[in-house]
Amino acid sequence: MENQNLQVLVADAETALKSVSTKSQWEQIKATFLGPNGSLTQFAKGIGSVPKEERPAFGKSLNQAKGKVETFFKSKLTHLEDLEDIKSLGECIDPTLPASPTFSGGLHPLTKTKRRIISIFRKIGFTVAEASEVETEWFCFDALNTPDDHPARDEQDTLFFPSSSEWANVSRKKKESYLLRTHTSSVQIRTLLKEKPPLRIIAPGRCFRRDTVDATHSANFHQTEGLFVDQNVTVKDLKGVLDYFLRELFGGKIETRLRPSFFPFTEPSFEVDLKVPDLGKLSNKWIEIMGCGMVDPEVLGLVGVDSDEWTGFAFGLGIERVTMLLHGIDDIRHFYQNDQRFLSQFSSQV
Amino acid sequence: MKISLNWLSDYVNLPSPAEELIDVLPMLGIEVEESEENHSSTLDHVVVGKVLEKSQHPEADRLSVCSVEVGEQTPAQIVCGATNFKLGDSVPVALPGAKLPGGFKIKKSKLRGVISEGMMCSAKELELGDDDAGLLILPGEPVIGQPITDVFAKSSVLELEITANRGDCLSHLGVAREVSAYYETPVKFPEIKTTATVSTEPNQSCLVESLQIKSANCPYYTLWSIKGIKIAPSPDWLVEKIESIGLRAINNVVDVTNFVLHETGQPLHAFDVSKISGSSIIVREANDGEKITTLDDQERSLTSQMLVIADHEKPLVVAGIMGSVDAEVDQDTTDIVLESAWFNPSSVRSTARSLGLHTDSSQRFSRDVDPKGVEYAAKRAIDLILNLAGGECINEFVSIGHPPRGSRTIEITPSFVEKRCGFDIPKENLIESWKRLGFEVEESTSLKVTVPSFRSEVDRPIDLVEEYLRIRGTADLQGSKFLTPSLERDNQPSYDLCDLAVDNLIGQGYQETCNYSLRSADEISKWFPKLTKIDLALGNPLTADHTHVRPSLLPGLIEVLAHNQHNLNNLSRVFETGRIFQPGPRGNAELISIAWVNAIGSEKKNWKDSQQSDFFSQKNSLERLLHAVGLSIPKGLWKSFDDEFPWQSGYAAQVGDVHKNKMEIALGTLSLNLSKSYNIKGPVLAVEILIDPVLLNKRRKPNSFTNFGTFPPAMKDLSLVVEKSEPAELVRKKVEEIAQSVLSNEISLDPVSIFDVFAGKGLPENKKSIACSLRMRAEDRTLGEKEVNQSFEKIILGIEQDTIYELRK
Repeated sequence: MENQNLQVLVADAETALKSVSTKSQWEQIKATFLGPNGSLTQFAKGIGSVPKEERPAFGKSLNQAKGKVETFFKSKLTHLEDLEDIKSLGECIDPTLPASPTFSGGLHPLTKTKRRIISIFRKIGFTVAEASEVETEWFCFDALNTPDDHPARDEQDTLFFPSSSEWANVSRKKKESYLLRTHTSSVQIRTLLKEKPPLRIIAPGRCFRRDTVDATHSANFHQTEGLFVDQNVTVKDLKGVLDYFLRELFGGKIETRLRPSFFPFTEPSFEVDLKVPDLGKLSNKWIEIMGCGMVDPEVLGLVGVDSDEWTGFAFGLGIERVTMLLHGIDDIRHFYQNDQRFLSQFSSQV
Repeated sequence: MKISLNWLSDYVNLPSPAEELIDVLPMLGIEVEESEENHSSTLDHVVVGKVLEKSQHPEADRLSVCSVEVGEQTPAQIVCGATNFKLGDSVPVALPGAKLPGGFKIKKSKLRGVISEGMMCSAKELELGDDDAGLLILPGEPVIGQPITDVFAKSSVLELEITANRGDCLSHLGVAREVSAYYETPVKFPEIKTTATVSTEPNQSCLVESLQIKSANCPYYTLWSIKGIKIAPSPDWLVEKIESIGLRAINNVVDVTNFVLHETGQPLHAFDVSKISGSSIIVREANDGEKITTLDDQERSLTSQMLVIADHEKPLVVAGIMGSVDAEVDQDTTDIVLESAWFNPSSVRSTARSLGLHTDSSQRFSRDVDPKGVEYAAKRAIDLILNLAGGECINEFVSIGHPPRGSRTIEITPSFVEKRCGFDIPKENLIESWKRLGFEVEESTSLKVTVPSFRSEVDRPIDLVEEYLRIRGTADLQGSKFLTPSLERDNQPSYDLCDLAVDNLIGQGYQETCNYSLRSADEISKWFPKLTKIDLALGNPLTADHTHVRPSLLPGLIEVLAHNQHNLNNLSRVFETGRIFQPGPRGNAELISIAWVNAIGSEKKNWKDSQQSDFFSQKNSLERLLHAVGLSIPKGLWKSFDDEFPWQSGYAAQVGDVHKNKMEIALGTLSLNLSKSYNIKGPVLAVEILIDPVLLNKRRKPNSFTNFGTFPPAMKDLSLVVEKSEPAELVRKKVEEIAQSVLSNEISLDPVSIFDVFAGKGLPENKKSIACSLRMRAEDRTLGEKEVNQSFEKIILGIEQDTIYELRK
């Protein structure tokens, strides 16, 4: 008898919950069953009229029913809460709509080339060295064995600061003039004065020439200098390192050759010529790619390195030029105009 | 420098074809520039043709239709407009497939209804000369059908680029020496007939009475007298040679001096004796302000740094550079003195540079001519002058001083060469290579190599290594499989900093850009009116828009925004890292800068609204960047910019000072007037970081672990009513200080944070409320409610006592 009533109560609770769609409804309905005046509570109060011997069975079925009802309410509550959470997400999305916002960052092509070059040299133990863009005549020329009246030191080609100019954080040898460095070779000098061989550095940076801007000239441009000083470094090592570098940069099927040339700070000096099978209009033609040579004993002497014990090689290449070759870019001004339609073609970090 | 292969072949046997030198010379260190003169190698499909028939074009009066034999089975039919040829003439014919120097392509076509299978060419059309009046009629009987380049090969001219160290190659004989060394074939020096004896001062027969050298910049001077010459045009062979390298023929004497300059590399100067005042020649420094009108008709003002050859009245020649109109050899000249001398290279170089006057002569003197060639060149010129202009050479020449340099001997061991080259070299190979260059080698325990006077730059063992390698050839050098022993060195911190910054800003959606370091004075005045511009000015700027080094990356970035907005490109967030330059208390400083800008009015329209960037989102962007690169914001309070261009007052602020803290940050909205002046829609938010590189020199140590409490914090909020002008950070800091001072030692306080700022309803007009959240914790237990409340009471009491802030109830 009691059991039947209990079963009805349980079924009633299940039915009543079905129409519940809000938490407040749920609270109301819960009170009608489990509250102090709720039907299940009332039913439990009837235990007094139950014969003593039946009381254990009554209690057991009461607890079972109560447990069932509580479970119904609990799972309903969880369900309601889930619904609320989902509702807070708003309307379902249309996955085909575009991203918001739409901007994405990117790398400048010159930085990309610079990083490629550095990562190739890092694999063979070169680390990055930097020095100031403001330089002095001694570091940019004298220390690099470039005589006083060498054409490269001409006011025609080099941007000088007035003689009254003072730079607090760029050291001078004597009272020589300040200028904007014309090549990254000055980093060789600053590094060799600070650190002692063995040394393997790669020095990317901005350089300046007194040039009118056109498709192939720029008042500022970027170079990467390299310097390798150790015991018993030879011309063959120079060739070996640069061949490795150019293979990594332009692919394994290239040909290279050293062509005698002249720089005041290397002896012997060479231009490196490169032949690439697949490089657009320049395919299979010798192209001049970089200058290099064995560090002149004079230069080592000027920075206090014993040239009988240490030998080394240095090289330099233009980052704009390499980037233009790699990507078939025909005008150096693109790099400094920063048009999105140009930059976006090269802006991925890989 | 132009070298005529035809002329060159007078001194050395050339390979066949001579154009082989175009590939050989570069590998010896002499670059061959691509020049128009090399055209003959590119005139494919242009052959020698012979005109067999000629008839009137049926439709055009001015055209004829010709049948031309071109070495194929059937003659070609060619329509032609020229009239200067006759049957049987040999002419150049461009056949279909040819591309003329101007880029014009030849194909089979119809001209007024008649088929034309090619084109007969003028000299100009093939760039073989200037004549465009008619067809180029080929002399002699060239083989029909043979490429035109075979007929003209000998007249090819190469444009050579001689490196600064190889002054000895600035002549036909100089290049001949290199060719001779490479092909192991002798140089044929022209034979000299003139004989004269040396005198150290002019004697009676000399055409000048006195010669004085008054400058150390002329250590060696010779003067030769020739009388009774007759000035006339040069013969064809000389005109042809002079013109082949782009010079203008003038008269027999002048042409001979030019010829000898390009033959031997020794510049000469001929003076008309009748124009020398006082019959004296003086080599001296010019007087400051002294004037000379040089042969190019320019009046030039000289300085005491410049060497001149003068008579007793006036300078006649800027020594080694250019003569004056006053002593020019002309039609009426009969007696001349010929100067052959050696001038100090750097003196000539600096004079040429300061006068802006670079001549064939100055180019050679400034690269150090061969002192031993001075006499030879004079005698060679005299031979030619006597031959072409008649006259008589006085049998005695004046020579003052001595050749400043002769041959020199360098001692070297084969192992020295091997150690630099990295491979074994038989001693005989070394000796042979140097001998091919004209060096003498004496074998003893070491090798003694004597280098002749014309190679001024070879004077150390390392220079001989280079000479060996040049002759050995470098094209086939194999690289070593080098080892890379580990080195203890890291990247320079300044590089790593910018590298990390680039990655972080890209991650934040910014595009990297690259802008010019050189800016205009106007731009700097506009952006930084308070800056002392003069400190950043270049001494010798080239153009008006590149007169100063940049004090900031921002102007460049704004230009990028403006350019892209103007082109309707979707690019509104850009950055740059690089060096900037600023005046400072102890002189200028070169600083590292990282800057980024965000044009919020020009972001691309989007279907969905997103939160607009403002000062605080940029501040977050800054914090993200600094965290990524491992730097912290300089200590101190952010200070609002007040009337400080280029920033918008009240919407931008600054912290740190690069000269004191080595780091400085500015952040906020750029002056609206400024962005408007670039036509940029809406405000531009900008962040600029300046760092003195010395800040990065400290080596970072790994930081050590601090234990953290595991018990949960107790949280309390409080809200304070303060003056509207009170910086929030001061309020926060005050609360934090008071709380820390009143809390017992057992209780620690997390950094106090602001979670709400309110002004308006319920508050007086000049007030705002700032709500802070406090988190207290003990190391060893969960704090009880009573303990927390007591602490909080103490904090509130402290605030009431120590500040004028009101607690908001």
